[in-house]
Amino acid sequence: MKYEVYENIAVQDDFNRFDFISIGKKGLVRKRVSFSKTEMDKVYNLAFGDVDEKDELDDLSVSDNGDRNKVLATVVNIVVSYTNRYPGRWIFFQGSSESRTRLYRMAIGLNLEELSIKFNIYGLIDNELIPFSKNLNASMFLIVGKKV
Amino acid sequence: MKKVIKEISWVSGTEVTYTVSEEFNKLKGKIDAPGKLAKANESLRKLKTPLPDTKTK
Repeated sequence: MKYEVYENIAVQDDFNRFDFISIGKKGLVRKRVSFSKTEMDKVYNLAFGDVDEKDELDDLSVSDNGDRNKVLATVVNIVVSYTNRYPGRWIFFQGSSESRTRLYRMAIGLNLEELSIKFNIYGLIDNELIPFSKNLNASMFLIVGKKV
Repeated sequence: MKKVIKEISWVSGTEVTYTVSEEFNKLKGKIDAPGKLAKANESLRKLKTPLPDTKTK
């Protein structure tokens, strides 16, 4: 892949929390990616959003900083680093809004060939896991790193 | 001294620097976006199929 990413990232030493600064037309916006263990064995939930003034992750905020692709690419890069650190872990994620889910679906679809080199990607439809394809209208996603 | 991890990004091909944050380390165990985690758990509970037995690393 050849997407620009943010290259300076603060991290918790167990790789469960990452912060980086988005730099764009509205200035500096702090972003956070966080992984939390779910009730299902080996599955971790990915939360992503802006960091608010109380140092909390706000996954509903829309910063509109003009660097969407770079931010998304940075999140993908963090997921790659995370799954390299924890190879057997599955990552569950979903958009916090319909438009954001659509964005994730589109981003995965546009880059499916390359992402599939690195990950097994599934969508959830009617509570069933379906291998992701470009036309899959999934609202939730599960991915796991592939053996290389 | 700050612990720094440098990796070549699979996404960009450039060097990415992860700097371990002592502030973050103090937050270990804290759940970010607990509502989202609850929604994830709810969805995972309804999952009809087990996770595929993929060959992971």
